[in-house]
Amino acid sequence: MLSRSAERLYWLARYLERTENIARLVNVHMNLLMDLPKGVEMGWRQLISINASEQEFYKKNNVASERNVTRFLLADQSYPGSLFSSLTAARENIRTSRELLPDEAWEQVNEMYLFAKNNLETVANRRQRVIFLNEILKGCQRFTGLLSGYMSHNHPYSFIRLGRNIERADMTSRILDLASLLLSESRSDEVRQYETILWMNILKALNALLMYRQQKHNRVNGDDVLNFLLQDTNLPRSVICCISEISTCISKLPNSDQLPGKVNELEAYVKAIDSENTTQVQLRGILDDLQNKLGNLHHQIADNWFLISSPE
Amino acid sequence: MKSIWKNYKTDIAYDELMHSEFQSRPVSHRLCQYLDSLKKEDIDKRKIAAELAIMEMGISFTVYSDEGNIDRAWPFDIIPRIIDAAEWKIIEKGLKQRLTALNCFISDVYGDQAFLKDGKMPSEIITSSKNFRKECIGMEPKHNVWANICGTDLVRDKDGIMYVLEDNLRVPSGVSYMLENRIITKRVFPELLQDIDILPIDDYPTHLHDMLTSIAPHQNGLITCAVLTPGIYNSAYFEHAYLAQQIGAQLVEGNDLVVNDDDCVYMKTIEGLEKVDVIYRRIDDDFLDPEVFRKDSTLGVPGLMRAWKAGNVALANAPGAGVADDKVVYAYVPEMIRYYLNEEPILPNVPTYLCSNKDDLDYVLAHLAELVVKPANESGGYGMLVGPHATTKEVESFRQIIKKDPRNYIAQPTLSISTAPTLCKGKLEPRHIDLRPFILQGENTFVTAGGLTRVALKKGSLVVNSSQGGGSKDTWIINMEDS
Repeated sequence: MLSRSAERLYWLARYLERTENIARLVNVHMNLLMDLPKGVEMGWRQLISINASEQEFYKKNNVASERNVTRFLLADQSYPGSLFSSLTAARENIRTSRELLPDEAWEQVNEMYLFAKNNLETVANRRQRVIFLNEILKGCQRFTGLLSGYMSHNHPYSFIRLGRNIERADMTSRILDLASLLLSESRSDEVRQYETILWMNILKALNALLMYRQQKHNRVNGDDVLNFLLQDTNLPRSVICCISEISTCISKLPNSDQLPGKVNELEAYVKAIDSENTTQVQLRGILDDLQNKLGNLHHQIADNWFLISSPE
Repeated sequence: MKSIWKNYKTDIAYDELMHSEFQSRPVSHRLCQYLDSLKKEDIDKRKIAAELAIMEMGISFTVYSDEGNIDRAWPFDIIPRIIDAAEWKIIEKGLKQRLTALNCFISDVYGDQAFLKDGKMPSEIITSSKNFRKECIGMEPKHNVWANICGTDLVRDKDGIMYVLEDNLRVPSGVSYMLENRIITKRVFPELLQDIDILPIDDYPTHLHDMLTSIAPHQNGLITCAVLTPGIYNSAYFEHAYLAQQIGAQLVEGNDLVVNDDDCVYMKTIEGLEKVDVIYRRIDDDFLDPEVFRKDSTLGVPGLMRAWKAGNVALANAPGAGVADDKVVYAYVPEMIRYYLNEEPILPNVPTYLCSNKDDLDYVLAHLAELVVKPANESGGYGMLVGPHATTKEVESFRQIIKKDPRNYIAQPTLSISTAPTLCKGKLEPRHIDLRPFILQGENTFVTAGGLTRVALKKGSLVVNSSQGGGSKDTWIINMEDS
């Protein structure tokens, strides 16, 4: 398999995973805010901050209103982290690696892209936005299902899984960032009152509520959610599960060099997190650390397998 | 017949499907019956469905413009062009004959040059050709075939005869659109395709793959094929990716490949370097290898010619094959067929005046306003003069251009190229069309059943190139005996 193709498939998967994650996050947040009384300090700004894009957002907008934030996160073509930018990048990557994937894979992504492109304006309207996001979520799931049904578990497939799980682990850690804000010592009594709803929405953002209930058998609470999303070995979007997927993919690929060792270290690090006895400050530190480690892992993967671009 | 045919004109040129506004030709009876059974809205709906399918399948080509490169949807007309299989059998034979002779000629040019020595062609034509590559002298590609993939453009004149307009032997494109056009037609008119006995075309990728493996330097074990593309900004990138996928080859760009000290070509993979046996290159000779051809090429692979000359990699088409893709050389193809094959040409050439020839030049300059003048080496319909459609000023400026460089120009009578019904704003109107069948030659020779029919969508226009407002149609070769 060409190094160039490996890189493109890896990014294809990352961008599609990001597309799906943004869609789900906005969807869940919208539902959450409908449940909360007006005046609670939870708002749309938090979505900007977990993506670390405050600076870019406030360059273009004055207030973090629903309209501004959703347009920024979903439809802004000049913001590389937006849903539409991610989808465009995914399409560009699959367009240039069609020869490795089933025909329908390209058509699926292309269709989704055309749908998004033709409906970008509708995201301003809440009702239309729900339809828009559902279409995108379905599209991403169709893509994943299509590959799992049609594609051999070959090297290209491993690179897709690798990209998907790195992005997924990163997003789970960012959603937990959102949770850490909720644990803030200075949170008002009002927020404390709605804590259960907030934690439930964190789970929903990762489609994990039902699985949580089946696993934990008790009411939703912060410590358990944290533990579940970081360390549950069966939940596909838990950090540990993503890392174990990454580890499997790497073991299937040739010339993995130092990588298996690095992934083992990361796995040990996550397992060692004591979610029951962390303060908010500690948690933020851990999550930052985790995101950095995932970033390093990405660089090691790139150095190991991707085409080293010659200076032009 | 219904309103979609109202005022359909068949007096512009030979019409492929219609005798007159009211009468279809035998090949198109079934199609016309079927179209008549549809309501006008139904036809519009099918057209929209086709456009949607093209968007979703992402069938596109890239147009270069000042505003950057734009990926445009492939313009497609849903009304097919139909040819009787009995006629096609003869054309197919003619195409095989032609490519066989052309390959004999290219081998000869880089070998003994008997054709020139025997006075069949002035040797200046070869020595002055920019597509003659002296680096290729003495090379003997497998099966003595240089042009493995050829796209030959055919047009039908008002006399009903199919003429060969040109042979594209460098990197002919369009075959992916031919394949996709059929897929779209199957989606749009499923009922119709069930009823009519149309020759299938979807075996092309299999034949392409067979041809490529047949020219590999070795025949033992697994043969690795790659399609070498200039990259996503090339107008035919879609096709490169499509074909690579269809034949299970790697789609590579120049910097994915490297030629090592052993003069073998390798691609950079996640497992390290992997040897490549056959390259279907979609890059012009000029850009193929900066060590030999253009030094500034970043698209090619340094050392590729070394590897090819050492016999370690096969290139399709072989470097230098373009020497026969020259409109001056074209004029000599009938003679080549007689010379190398001892046969009479099955398909006629369009009469051609060579401006390098003094008498011809005088005639051309005296009749510029009636002729089509073409540069010998351009493709894509660029840099040509269509006399009857040009202004006096354009004709005069072309006169100067020709005088400056007569070797580089040829002229042909303006053909009245045939038309076919084309859906224009809900009505059928005649539009001019040509046909590009694709011929593969390696160990065996294969011709596509039909080819790509290109259509000049603009009323009265004769230019069918997609880069200049042309579209395409599905092409049906149908068996009449059974129907």
